[in-house]
Amino acid sequence: MLSTNYKIALVHLTSKVKQTIVAVLGVTFGISMYVFMNSFMSGVNDTQTTLAFTSLAHIHIYNDGPEDNTNLVKKVYGANTLANIRNARIIQYTEGIKNTAEILDLVKKQPEVIGVAPQVNINVFFRNGGNKVNGTLSGVDVVNENKLFNISTYMVAGNWNELQYRADGIIIGYDLAKELSVNVNDNINILTPDDISRNYKIIGVFQTNVKTVDKSKAYLNINSARQLLAKNEDYVTDLQVNINNFEKTAPVVARLAPVIPFKVESWQMANQQLEAGSELRDIIAQAVSFTILLVAGFGIYNILNMTINEKIREIAILKAMGFSSGDVTSIFLTQAMVIGVIGGIIGMLLGFVVSDIVAHIPFKIGGLNYLPMAFKFKDYSLAFTFGLVTTFVAGYLPARKASKIDPVDIIRG
Amino acid sequence: MKKDIALKASKINKFFHEPEDFQALKDVGFEVHKGEFLSLIGKSGSGKSTLLYILSTMDTDYKGELIINGEKLTGQTLNQLAAFRNSHIGFVFQFHYLLPEFSVLDNIMLPALKLNKKSREEIEADAYNNLKLLGLPEQALKLTSKLSGGQQQRVAIARALINSPSIIMGDEPTGNLDSKNTNIVFDIFKELSHERGQTIITVTHDEDFAKNSDRVIELSDGSVVGAH
Repeated sequence: MLSTNYKIALVHLTSKVKQTIVAVLGVTFGISMYVFMNSFMSGVNDTQTTLAFTSLAHIHIYNDGPEDNTNLVKKVYGANTLANIRNARIIQYTEGIKNTAEILDLVKKQPEVIGVAPQVNINVFFRNGGNKVNGTLSGVDVVNENKLFNISTYMVAGNWNELQYRADGIIIGYDLAKELSVNVNDNINILTPDDISRNYKIIGVFQTNVKTVDKSKAYLNINSARQLLAKNEDYVTDLQVNINNFEKTAPVVARLAPVIPFKVESWQMANQQLEAGSELRDIIAQAVSFTILLVAGFGIYNILNMTINEKIREIAILKAMGFSSGDVTSIFLTQAMVIGVIGGIIGMLLGFVVSDIVAHIPFKIGGLNYLPMAFKFKDYSLAFTFGLVTTFVAGYLPARKASKIDPVDIIRG
Repeated sequence: MKKDIALKASKINKFFHEPEDFQALKDVGFEVHKGEFLSLIGKSGSGKSTLLYILSTMDTDYKGELIINGEKLTGQTLNQLAAFRNSHIGFVFQFHYLLPEFSVLDNIMLPALKLNKKSREEIEADAYNNLKLLGLPEQALKLTSKLSGGQQQRVAIARALINSPSIIMGDEPTGNLDSKNTNIVFDIFKELSHERGQTIITVTHDEDFAKNSDRVIELSDGSVVGAH
């Protein structure tokens, strides 16, 4: 029985090939645009994420200093006491992270953690003759730092690993080097807040394409940094932690925060604008592709409605011969779904081709060579599913109308 | 000799509400025997077509009772009635209403494929037999839109016969045909009723056609006024 309905549906589809092609094209266009838009947005988001994580770890552990202590009297005597405190000074008891080894151990035991990099970060002046630039000097564990941030891939001169063996070596950002007019093998002078000044030899230059990093950051071996500050071998100001899924920082933070007496911060907490940007792009992509699918849906709806008006007598006669309402619905729904499936498959292929072409369009800004594009199975399967849902709805409404045709009205005229 | 009753209608009343309230059928009741060739006649607006569509089970908006082959059809759902029509009633209309995109053979086979009681091969054999009976075996694979009016009407009859229905209903089946084709159709109906025992009920304007059938019921203003 079903095959009879299918046969009628197929004859309807093939007898008006042009109409069918137009309907299929509508779906094809909708789905290919859906695939393309979402692939493009995924690509942009992925690029953004990669860029962001060149200088950002998933979880950051640091000593954020004492809390607000502008009115210490209040803590002891309550609200009714009048306090007059002037020129309050903060005595920092602890600088950096205490008991680093213990905390490192604890962090490494978390199953999600894939890398930990201890850092000694110092705000300094970089000086070359009369030129002064302020920035951050990062004393890093050379191997682990590279594991987390892949800095070796951003080197434009020199070799990252050399930092491991050169106590006097420094690797500086590309824009910082330009501003100080220095090059590899030149010396620059570092001035710390505690008025210590020291010369280092530039052994490498990096360029992450994140401007704020490139023009204000330099790397030192962690031991050299400790030496510069006259600190012990356990001294660390920041712990950078990467986990296996950067989206899922919350449970790790929730586990670590109570047992570590320092600030444990996820990248989402520190950089909500990144989250917002990526979410907003997703929303735009979804809105545009839904609009396209909706238009395609209207196309199918119109064409099926026309078909039904043309074939109203045939539908009446089918019902007179004993075809039930369900049969009539299935005949027209089958047509819609055939259009949907064919349009969907061609649409995914077309979407892939368009994405591939766009992914080869040169785009030379911010370290990119081509327009970013992601090829994800999820985007394709979602596009296909949404396409089928749209065609189902667009087909069901006219099909139901056809099934409600009263044969007597039509045959008697 | 007592004959089996194929169709029994009792106290059929039908009202139209558009454009104004109007009673189209008033207490119409009669019986039709198995194998009988019955003509319904009457002037335009007498209610004969209205009656036929009620008898055909397609129109369910009436008062009264309709029994075909001992089964009470009044009050059944639309889908039950569709299934009943499929296996028990064959239709021939004034216009052939064939599906123009299908071949002659496919058109004839459709109701049987819907009934789904026989294999495709058996149905195809039946369809060929019907075409032979109607003198059109060589047209089987043509599209119906390529046939002449008389041929199309004969194909429509072949389609009506495919499920061996106990009742064949015709709404002016010869209304669009010339006298030669009218005679062919009449002879086919005669043969079906007398030799195969299939009951035939047709609405007709054609006096000769009606005169030659077994029985004539005449309607006027919604009531039965004469039976010959």
